[in-house]
Amino acid sequence: MRWGILCLLAACAAAAAGQELQSSPYHGDPVSIGVGKATFRLRCSACHGIHADGGQGPALNRGEFAAGDTDLAIYQVIANGVPGTEMPAFGRRSTEENIWRIVAFLRTFAPGDDEPLQGDAERGAAVFWDQAGCGGCHRVGQRGGLFGPALTRIGRARSVAYLRDALLEPAKDLPPDYFVVSVETADGRTVRGIGLGYDDFSAQLMDSTGRVRSYHRGEVESMEREFTTLMPDTYGDSLTTEQQEDLLAYMQSLRGEGGAP
Amino acid sequence: MKLRFVIGTLLVSALLAQAQVSGDNLLRSQQDDESWLMYGRNYSAWRHSPLKEIDTGNVHGIVPVWIFQSGVLGKLQTTPLVRDGVMYVTGPSNHAWALDLKTGRELWHYSEPVPGDLAYCCGQPNRGVAILENRLYKVNMQATLVALDTRTGEVIWEVESADYRKGYSNTVAPLIVGDKVVIGIAGAEFGTRDFIDAYDAKTGERVWRFWTVPGPGEPGNETWGGDSWKRGGASTWITGSYDPELNLIYWGTGNPGPDLDGSPRPGDNLYSDSMVALDADTGELRWYFQFTPHDVHDWDSVADPVLIDMEVDGQPRKALVQANRNGHFYALDRQSGEFLFARAYTEVNWADGIGPDGRPILIPGREPTDEGTLTCPGMGGGHNWHATTYSPQTGLYYFNSGDGCQIYHGATQEYVEGEYYLGSAMENVTGEPREGSIIAVDPSTGDRRWRFPLVSPPSSGLLSTGGGLLFAGTPEGYFMALDAATGKPLWHLQTGGPVRAPAISYRFAGRQYVASAAGTSIFVFALPQ
Repeated sequence: MRWGILCLLAACAAAAAGQELQSSPYHGDPVSIGVGKATFRLRCSACHGIHADGGQGPALNRGEFAAGDTDLAIYQVIANGVPGTEMPAFGRRSTEENIWRIVAFLRTFAPGDDEPLQGDAERGAAVFWDQAGCGGCHRVGQRGGLFGPALTRIGRARSVAYLRDALLEPAKDLPPDYFVVSVETADGRTVRGIGLGYDDFSAQLMDSTGRVRSYHRGEVESMEREFTTLMPDTYGDSLTTEQQEDLLAYMQSLRGEGGAP
Repeated sequence: MKLRFVIGTLLVSALLAQAQVSGDNLLRSQQDDESWLMYGRNYSAWRHSPLKEIDTGNVHGIVPVWIFQSGVLGKLQTTPLVRDGVMYVTGPSNHAWALDLKTGRELWHYSEPVPGDLAYCCGQPNRGVAILENRLYKVNMQATLVALDTRTGEVIWEVESADYRKGYSNTVAPLIVGDKVVIGIAGAEFGTRDFIDAYDAKTGERVWRFWTVPGPGEPGNETWGGDSWKRGGASTWITGSYDPELNLIYWGTGNPGPDLDGSPRPGDNLYSDSMVALDADTGELRWYFQFTPHDVHDWDSVADPVLIDMEVDGQPRKALVQANRNGHFYALDRQSGEFLFARAYTEVNWADGIGPDGRPILIPGREPTDEGTLTCPGMGGGHNWHATTYSPQTGLYYFNSGDGCQIYHGATQEYVEGEYYLGSAMENVTGEPREGSIIAVDPSTGDRRWRFPLVSPPSSGLLSTGGGLLFAGTPEGYFMALDAATGKPLWHLQTGGPVRAPAISYRFAGRQYVASAAGTSIFVFALPQ
């Protein structure tokens, strides 16, 4: 208990020390920005992309940031993480100076790099929930299906260009933990679903009904992991261009507000 | 209450009073079934226990005997040492424990804070202690070496081997050679200039230092353009081996700095990515062999240098073998450093084999670029640092491998003291995650005998036993036993945490045990009584 309090105090002290500065002292310093870029690539690129263009984590090359657009807000997100998300705190793993260097690197991306929205979010909601049936697999907040990734905060996490690719060519990029498991059972049935686990001795999946299934290798004919998606690649044909743009506008409007996580 | 305390103290003291280890004990460690006295079990780094109570026919019946939960988060990569009824383990972030071998109960706990401004690349693991007489030797993250009393865990002396504020840190398990404690160092990701040190085991006074990047006027310095040698890296973060007859210490070295950008350091960059053979008394270089001259893919060559006397092409050789991170298995003559042969053991697309002079035959266009270059193996190898094993019973050498490719991005970066100096990073290929394998080879030819596929790049080291078994673990938390002759899986247990360490085996009170770290705990297994 005492140790925990000490750690908490140390973390607060470190965070407080970093907050003495309101903005990065390294703007315009190419050496420090280079170090910031190298550190970003090592620590951050696995989620945010090697070019800060997003992936499992939000794109950071758009000149705007979900937790606030000031240097201090970016610093605090890196140092303290974002509770309730996959963003961990790097305050104990990086020096204050290095975090400010990362901030300076991220500030080299100008706002407005993302393409402007063409569609209407309200009409897009109707496409999502009714006409295209996206909600059958994807959920927003507590509404929708469990089979596909949650899109509650997708507008914060992905650029318009990324979402357009995801809609029209869903296999072009996959979240790092996303895969499909196919199992041929001992009685000859094939079970396929979203992979929840896959290791040297077992596999777990969620089938299209939302049921979780688990198999040992020794009890089935075969099991394999496929790095593909079960999302149809037909929306380029089945949706008009206007519907696509409306859908993109709706997804960009999903920012996790309204009680969603 | 007071009486119980006194009796308890007496019992603990009596238990720990036995832990005397002589230099002769270390020389004969392979014959000592009841102990595990050094990182690689013997000076040849075989990591083979002759014990055979647990064998291919009964291993399916082994059960946990006790579990020690360290309570410390981080990577538990320790090789436990065992002596006289006590197990000594280290944890991440400067922790160590003595455990009662019978029950797993903690006898003492040592810890030291990690400085808040310490920079490190890859977690804060520690790979174990060394033991001599009544002292344990352990490195701490802030590049210090500490001697602990085996009976109490109290600090006898502590010395600083380098200034952590410049980017140095340490994770290596020390090696005792005679009356010296030999250690390596880490820091190449921060542009340090690295070394191998020997310290007087009694006093902590430094006896010699071998710089793995030679300074001005020293042979090899000409292989570094300009003053790039000052930031040359060549870390030494995995324990070496020792040939008492030749009195040579063998130690592998890591990547040059910056890792992925060769432009600031034209030349071969000696002695990065090399095997060095040092006089144990003086630390003088007797020979070296560089696996990857002018490396731009982070092909550290720190993996176990394993010493095997064997025939190569019909000639008896005192050989040294290493499964190198660059994707090739190598055999060298450990008396002379002569290159004997190399064989690729995983997909390699940056070199078209190794030439007769031991240099890789480079394929142009595989250097990292800003937009990225697909290269195999991916970052980390091939076989990285994880402990390997040689079984004199099967005559096979076992190691694990990360298999698959990654995209290497390079960028020129200015050096700032104490900050990352990498020259960029790598990314995964979408839809093609890297996988892994456990591989058995004939060390005299490099011929592969079997391969056990893993769904992920491996995380654990290996142990072979006289019972014909190979013990291994996985990042998904499985601890398992394979048939060492065939690779067939015989037993596994989901431990609930990544297995990041090699297993050990020992006999206690007439019964064979197998112990391994998993998650943040130490698991100990045996056949039911």
